[in-house]
Amino acid sequence: MFTIRCPYCGERDQSEFSNGGEAHVARPKDPEQISDREWSEYVFIRANPKGIYYERWVHTHGCKKWFNAVRNTSTDEILKVYKMGEAPPPLKEFKNTIKTPSGEPDVGSGNFSVKKP
Amino acid sequence: MTESKIYFKFDGKKYAGNQGDTIAAALLRNNVRLIGRSFKYHRPRGIYTCGIEEPNALVQIINEHNEPNVRATVKKIYEGMIVKSQNRWPSLKTDLGSINNILSPIFSAGFYYKTFMGPKGFWKNVYEPLIRRTAGLGKPPKEFKSKSIHQHHNVDVIIVGGGLSGLLAARKFAGTNYDVLLVEREDAFGGVLKNANKIKSINDQPADEWLEKTERLIRNSNNIKILKNTLVTTYNFSDHLIALEDKNVGKPQDNEKPELVLHKIRTKHTILANGHIERFITFRNNDLPGVMLAASFEKYLNRYGFVPDESPVIFTNNSSTYSLLKSLTDLGHKPKAYVDIRDQKNIEKQTLELLEKFNIPFYPKSEVEGCEGQKEVKKVSIRTKKNQITKIKTSMLCVSGGFNPDIHLFTQSKGLLKWDKDHLTFKPDRIFQKTITLGSVSGNFSYEKLLVEVEKKLSEFQGLNELEVKFEINGPEKFQIKELWETKHEKKSLWSKSFIDLQNDVTTKDLRQAVNEGFNRIEHLKRFTTNSMGTDQGKISSINALGIVSKILKKDISEVGTTTYRPPYSPVNFSAIAGRSTYEFYDPVRKTPLHSWHINQNAVFENVGQWKRPWYFKKSEDETMLQAVQREAEQVRKTAGILDGSTLGKIEIKGKDALTFVNLMYTNSFTKMKPKTGRYALMLGEDGMIKDDGIVCKINDQHFIVTTTTGNAASVLAHMEEYAQTEWPNLNLYINSITEQFATFNLSGPKSRVIMSRVFNDIDFSNDQFPFMSFDNFKYLDTEIRILRASFTGELGYEIYVPPSHALKLWQKFFISSRDFDLVPYGTETMHLLRAEKGYIIVGQDTDGTVTPLDLNLNWMIGKKKKDFIGKRSLTRTDIVRETRKQLVGLVPVDKTLGIEEGQHVIEQKDLSLPIKNPVDMLGHVTSSYFSPNLNHSVAMALIRGGKRKIGSRLFVSTENLNTIAVEVVEPNFIDPKNERMML
Ligand SMILES: [Zn+2]
Repeated sequence: MFTIRCPYCGERDQSEFSNGGEAHVARPKDPEQISDREWSEYVFIRANPKGIYYERWVHTHGCKKWFNAVRNTSTDEILKVYKMGEAPPPLKEFKNTIKTPSGEPDVGSGNFSVKKP
Repeated sequence: MTESKIYFKFDGKKYAGNQGDTIAAALLRNNVRLIGRSFKYHRPRGIYTCGIEEPNALVQIINEHNEPNVRATVKKIYEGMIVKSQNRWPSLKTDLGSINNILSPIFSAGFYYKTFMGPKGFWKNVYEPLIRRTAGLGKPPKEFKSKSIHQHHNVDVIIVGGGLSGLLAARKFAGTNYDVLLVEREDAFGGVLKNANKIKSINDQPADEWLEKTERLIRNSNNIKILKNTLVTTYNFSDHLIALEDKNVGKPQDNEKPELVLHKIRTKHTILANGHIERFITFRNNDLPGVMLAASFEKYLNRYGFVPDESPVIFTNNSSTYSLLKSLTDLGHKPKAYVDIRDQKNIEKQTLELLEKFNIPFYPKSEVEGCEGQKEVKKVSIRTKKNQITKIKTSMLCVSGGFNPDIHLFTQSKGLLKWDKDHLTFKPDRIFQKTITLGSVSGNFSYEKLLVEVEKKLSEFQGLNELEVKFEINGPEKFQIKELWETKHEKKSLWSKSFIDLQNDVTTKDLRQAVNEGFNRIEHLKRFTTNSMGTDQGKISSINALGIVSKILKKDISEVGTTTYRPPYSPVNFSAIAGRSTYEFYDPVRKTPLHSWHINQNAVFENVGQWKRPWYFKKSEDETMLQAVQREAEQVRKTAGILDGSTLGKIEIKGKDALTFVNLMYTNSFTKMKPKTGRYALMLGEDGMIKDDGIVCKINDQHFIVTTTTGNAASVLAHMEEYAQTEWPNLNLYINSITEQFATFNLSGPKSRVIMSRVFNDIDFSNDQFPFMSFDNFKYLDTEIRILRASFTGELGYEIYVPPSHALKLWQKFFISSRDFDLVPYGTETMHLLRAEKGYIIVGQDTDGTVTPLDLNLNWMIGKKKKDFIGKRSLTRTDIVRETRKQLVGLVPVDKTLGIEEGQHVIEQKDLSLPIKNPVDMLGHVTSSYFSPNLNHSVAMALIRGGKRKIGSRLFVSTENLNTIAVEVVEPNFIDPKNERMML
């Protein structure tokens, strides 16, 4: 179990939070104007990389606020948290901070495809 | 050791032990060596070790609610304790299950996988009954109320292990500003100082004196918290550790105080000083009672103060057994033989000197080939330097196959290991977290280097104490070992076996067979053979298995790699994990303000989420549920009934943009809706599926109150919050749960207007003044209530929202005011029946997350002119508009005396008699079914494929036998299809 630094309350145990899936997936502005495929991708399809992931969390058993976090899914390190509406930190900010004990290269491996935010 | 004896029972017989003895120590003291029967073959097993690594000596504690699989080498005795051996039938000494040993070819590697495959019927009729009777460990415990608790710690440093290394580290931190937790799994500090004869003195004092002084110093420093009898079981991500403390060591159960404490520790640095584990060597019948690890034997001698056997044979491949030799000879005992696989010239001179001085039979460059005996070791068979077999009579064989750093916790932390060629073991290499390893766990088996290691590895901390420690060592300082995993068998019989995993009864033959069958990856091999998959995780044997497999595969051991060590290090009681979250504390019970009234009226309750809701009210003792529900449902439509609807979720939405938000959350359009009116509304997910339903009440465009189903109150609130915060943060509004601020009554039935006028005689309930779906707030006594005219049941109805403090009085007033109408209180079952008669859906019963409003014919609830709402776009997806989707229909049996069962399949064919040649095409299933007292026949709703087009046709519903029931497919609205009664 890791800890998460809620941008409003500070560092707390993970068990106080709920995960809300991939961040920065914008709801289409005009759903009526897009195709079934585009809409389905918004509703059903999410990235699931091994490595850097931009995702949403909510402090369910706390302030109930939603926020974004950058997590390394292979190590569960939370690398950054930021408030809803703030711009996502660029990927290069995290490049050299990844420790992957299972030995895969930091970048470029098949397991490490990162969807650009 | 104190003189006072402690009496306990093992398998019905009384034994005496000493204060502080484990069950194993006390039994050995009484010369009891046969402790249990093995997992698969029911072979006799004894005590192999003196600690947590024990694979064999698992027992059941009868007076502790039958606690099973307790390690006899860990659990301490107390007066009156009742212990039983496990996995034997009918008794430990004559165990019929040991026939499995002779049947062993069918129990070989991959046995479980292969028997699952057939032949058909064999598993169920032959294998499973056999395995259930004979295989396995202890029996399940009896139910009991646990007093275990959880405790949380936030510290700078945790030191795992209060042995020599851990104490040196703690000594460095004593009195500093660091917040330190020192955790020791035994009841006393000291580790090797207490277990073995390796250190003569520290700072020119006996080791015991140094230990006592050091402990006092640590105890007096107010920055170090000490936990003893506490085992660190888990090293998670983010420097989070879990430890299990036994508060009841050596004491009978206490029903008042917590017996186990689960410590959850968050730390900045972790110092692992948790030592090492001795490993065994595989030889023929290496499982017989009387075979024991050498360091464990020595631990009984030094820590428990008795000699398990005065003249054992010692078998080793390394220098560490000098210590045992010294301990035994110091006490005046003489081992039967000393067998060392190393060449005489490689054996330490101190050992040779001792062997010579006491004239101990010495076998250099020799090995134990096997041992003989029925229930315990009688003879040891030695293959000498000249490749000859010599047999020695003995009742005990002490074995040392070398040492493994106890790397379980380190690997749990995701640190990487490397192979240590000198010590022939894996040791920590790269850390992943803030981990420091000290002493033997780091692969450092030298006391002289220990000080340097401590100083170096703790140099990152500021302001620590200086250490001044000087060791005087007994015997060889340098650890030396020669590789040996398994010795060659001489004799082959069905009974002779060489074990690699004692707990799971895995032999080295199984390993070879698995490799032959193609399982050459260690993780596959582990699962196929179940090697190291027991509750001990192969602590004394898993590295040996790697050694043997690497030889079979002709690979380097580091190429073979290790399997994953998983938390917990040792089994953790479920009662500790549960903590106080049991029984009434497991999940809170929520009661409505009318709960006591319901109890007085003989309500039978139903759990809806955490709520207790009246299911039906028993009018007399012998009234059945069916009778009660029929009576309630009939009375509602005849005069009136009242339902406690307080559990409905209520959410208040307030703010400048409340209208826009509500329009986005629900399918309906609320823009043109007049203030002080309500509307039945649907909430969808983005996938277009129904999430919830309820009534949206508009106070004005900036203020709404919505209701949710009882079970969805929290998730609907969370859903709204999510969209308000993440999708539309620009909207100005607040969302608040007010579920518990109001009790809610649902009054229903043709007489409800009269009753309302009697209860609230100053309010005009006429159709003009109080039309359908309108609401208003009214003063009531010293408070305010809200009344909404709405219908849950298809009858004329009202909902009354009243603060909980006034709820009971007002509820009673309803009954006092309507004696002439026989106003009936009704429960959820009747509510469901009444709704089913009207074809009103219950979210979660008639829907299941795959149902859209279109499937339910609720198109009229969709605000088609709205530009957007959650799920709107999905309603025009090709799959959603498909005509062959499952759609809601009503079913009425052709034979009106028959009842239809919920959950049964709706099919087109009448005949289901056997044999059925082709798969039966299932059109869908029955979602709700009731006998309607008002129509005098069954009514049901079903979701069936292309249902809308099937209305008017005849289908069949399956039953629990092979009969079917013919049904007419109708519109799901059985009573008052024109909906006139609610408009009364
Ligand atoms: Zn928070």
